[in-house]
Amino acid sequence: MICESCNQNLATVHLTEIVQKHKKETHLCEACAQQKGLPGKDFVSAAKSQFSVKEFLGAIQGGPAKGQPAAEAALPAGLAEPCARCGLPFSEFKATGRLGCPGCYEHFRAGLVPLLEKIHGTTPQHVGRMPRNVGARVDREKLIAAFQRDLTLAVEREEYERAAELRDKIRALEQTEGTRTA
Amino acid sequence: MSGREPGTLGEWLSAGGPEGDVVMSTRIRLARNVADYPFLGRIDERRKAALEHSLREKLGACLDAPVYHDLEAATPVDRQCLVEGHVISRDLAQGRGARGVAVGPGGVLSVMVNEEDHLRVQVLRAGLAPDEAWAEILAADRRLEGAIDFAFSPELGYLTACPTNVGTGMRVSVMLHLPALVWTKQVDKVLHAVSKINLAVRGFYGEGTQALGDFYQISNQATLGRTEEDTLRAVADYVPHIVAFERNWRRKLLAEHRAGIEDRIWRAYGMLERARLLTSEEAMEYLSALRVGVDLGLIGGVTLAAVNELFILTQPAHLQKLAGRELDTPARDEHRAAFVRGKLARLN
Repeated sequence: MICESCNQNLATVHLTEIVQKHKKETHLCEACAQQKGLPGKDFVSAAKSQFSVKEFLGAIQGGPAKGQPAAEAALPAGLAEPCARCGLPFSEFKATGRLGCPGCYEHFRAGLVPLLEKIHGTTPQHVGRMPRNVGARVDREKLIAAFQRDLTLAVEREEYERAAELRDKIRALEQTEGTRTA
Repeated sequence: MSGREPGTLGEWLSAGGPEGDVVMSTRIRLARNVADYPFLGRIDERRKAALEHSLREKLGACLDAPVYHDLEAATPVDRQCLVEGHVISRDLAQGRGARGVAVGPGGVLSVMVNEEDHLRVQVLRAGLAPDEAWAEILAADRRLEGAIDFAFSPELGYLTACPTNVGTGMRVSVMLHLPALVWTKQVDKVLHAVSKINLAVRGFYGEGTQALGDFYQISNQATLGRTEEDTLRAVADYVPHIVAFERNWRRKLLAEHRAGIEDRIWRAYGMLERARLLTSEEAMEYLSALRVGVDLGLIGGVTLAAVNELFILTQPAHLQKLAGRELDTPARDEHRAAFVRGKLARLN
């Protein structure tokens, strides 16, 4: 399928817009989709895997206090820029529930952390196994030390929310010490 | 391949694993992505094809004697057969572009390429066998990580296209056959309890499918902030309670409503033995009753393994594969009835 806007590239962004109960399908290439800035809240994604997206959106909607437009209200600044690595705008992630590349996790960190807490019901800190090559690179104690330095800084700056988050991470890391199977 | 049984029946169907009267299978899957590649929603066709090519080669080198199915080249019926055999997901079958699946001996281990994530590694075992399944998938994951640089962050674990899988990327699913709980309307109680402890319930063919044939899949939801062992235990430790509950109701039904339960099972058996047209739903319903009849010793000559296989072989794509041609729905119903009749006649 060819992009309806430029009539040149392959359409990879498929959106179903519902305007006054009428369904309108739009098929665009990534460049044109980005150019149009695709306001996420006006689109319903024709997502291929409904369950996960619903699950995910459910998690978002369960988040902020009633009456607040869920994700919008929680969005810190800095999410306006698309991912520096793959070009994914955050609005597209909100529409599809899918990230564009591993770099998105870092780029959209501020928006993702509250969601991950909601979805997984815990402070976002991986405690499972890691690939052996990564295991060799990442020394856990160094990581804990780095978090502790950040924690001291956060307390000095009176950033208590950040401090609590770091404290939880350190605890999680300490608790799982030695339990790794990798 | 046409005109005979497609080779998609994994040994999990016939192996008769632990708690096999209630637990059909234990599955574990790991979501993995290759570092330095975009996820599949943001990859262009050329890179997607290059990625598939490279992963196909690596899987060939890392796994024991895998058979690779190129799903872009495969016919829709062949793809659907793999879905029906629980080898691949519907999403992978219905997807577009370069994608495939590597299947190990006996269908125990399989690795989907270019599904929602670059790799979906899965192990499927008969009955309740979480530890065996985990040992196998861990061994496979270790071999793969020696050849592939996975997208990983010390903070968030294995990075996946959907944030619901990030962390361990691990999903443990146990497929349960709960006819007695369905017949006695106890099943909602169980499912409610299951959802309370943050486990997900799905149907026979996974996400969004109905609980056909009284099958329910129970799996973990969270993947971040818990170890693989925790995840395994969270699902596996709960299953024996449901198994006991189902068994008690089967025995209770037999003790207190023997005529009713026998009638239900023998009617189902009669339909399967005699009917000339069988819809997919009817087949699932009657096979479910037959399965209980075999377990309770009411029906001899038929094995659980044979019933398990019939659940898969009577699915639409398998019937078409057996017939060697495309069949519309009425023709499938006829073929299904004839096939089941033939199978049961041979067993007796």
